[in-house]
Amino acid sequence: MTGKNYRISCTAGVSESIGFLLIFTIVIAGIGLVTLYGYPMLLKQQTSADEQIMQKNMIVLQNDLKSLAYKTVPYKETSLKIGGGALMVYNSSYTPASSTIKIYDQNNIVYVNVFQSGDLLYSSDSAGTDISLQNGAVVKRQHAEQGSVMLAEPRWFYDSETKTMVINFVNLTSTGIMAKTGVGTVQMVLGEARFQKTDTPPLATPVYLEYTPDPVQDYSIAWNNYFTNPSLGMTLLSGTPGTGTMLKYQLPDTTTLVIKQYEVNIKSL
Amino acid sequence: MAGLKDDAQWIVLMGFVVSFSLFFIAIVLNQSTVIGQTTAEAVLEFPKNDIRGVRDVIIQSEFLDDGGIFLNKTNVHNDIRILSLSRQNSVVNISSTPPTAGNPYTTINIHYNNGVTVYNEIWRSE
Repeated sequence: MTGKNYRISCTAGVSESIGFLLIFTIVIAGIGLVTLYGYPMLLKQQTSADEQIMQKNMIVLQNDLKSLAYKTVPYKETSLKIGGGALMVYNSSYTPASSTIKIYDQNNIVYVNVFQSGDLLYSSDSAGTDISLQNGAVVKRQHAEQGSVMLAEPRWFYDSETKTMVINFVNLTSTGIMAKTGVGTVQMVLGEARFQKTDTPPLATPVYLEYTPDPVQDYSIAWNNYFTNPSLGMTLLSGTPGTGTMLKYQLPDTTTLVIKQYEVNIKSL
Repeated sequence: MAGLKDDAQWIVLMGFVVSFSLFFIAIVLNQSTVIGQTTAEAVLEFPKNDIRGVRDVIIQSEFLDDGGIFLNKTNVHNDIRILSLSRQNSVVNISSTPPTAGNPYTTINIHYNNGVTVYNEIWRSE
């Protein structure tokens, strides 16, 4: 008798139409959740993945640039996928310049008058960011905001034992303005390299550096953080980073100033 | 609704397992784009051969005469400094003390800095 009772309680339930309605609601709710939340999340993931891949690509390109400049490799070629935006080259004679740098000493003897680096710029339209390879550094900024950040530093250094400041400029040249989306190959060739070493008797300390950003593409906060970090040890004398104005820095106690300029020619994208 | 069998509930469970594992794989793949290149570069960046070369030449040049135009120790040291700056992008500093009556050894202080690696050595002719 107990067995019969058990069977009855087990098969008792709602009517078939209500059951159908329940299942149907669950299915519709599932589809709704996926379309409203899941799909936008997926797109966002894709955008951030594109951006991250491009950040990594820019660092790879910076490594190529390092090999060209510091290891005197004559030619480098890198294939990369450019997604979610475009990669462009602005050569160093392009105006407005991405930034200009001037270096002079106490006696107003100018060592570098107007240095323009040119840049290799990735502009992401879906994420709203710019990633730029300029003057040997990789910097990033948001389209609508003031801030910028340096993802990979250039190789400037100050040797405190010999009080030597080594400043490496990398100058990008190309035959024109080039742009690329999709899969491309960046071909870079080492051009002219210039080397200038000045010791104390002609060099009058302190030495000053002036950085003037492009007001539209302002990466001055990133560069300010780099210039004033303890390993380089420059001090900001005038100007406010992030406002597009000229910034003036004083170099640390320098008895030998070494300025190297490398020209890197971008053959194609 | 007669004869309910729940033997096939593993299908639903497998659905959950597969979808969650896909989710985790997606997270792992997303993170992996950043790592790799830079770590490999850091190993290649170490200037072992540059340091060895510079150190070798410095120690050899210590025992040159300092009088004539050729094979002049001061000139060779200046050449080393300039060449390392222009070719290897590194600051090299050399200072040495010749043997004295109390101390029969030659001592050379070698300083090498290329912005990434700093190398200091006190070499003694023992």
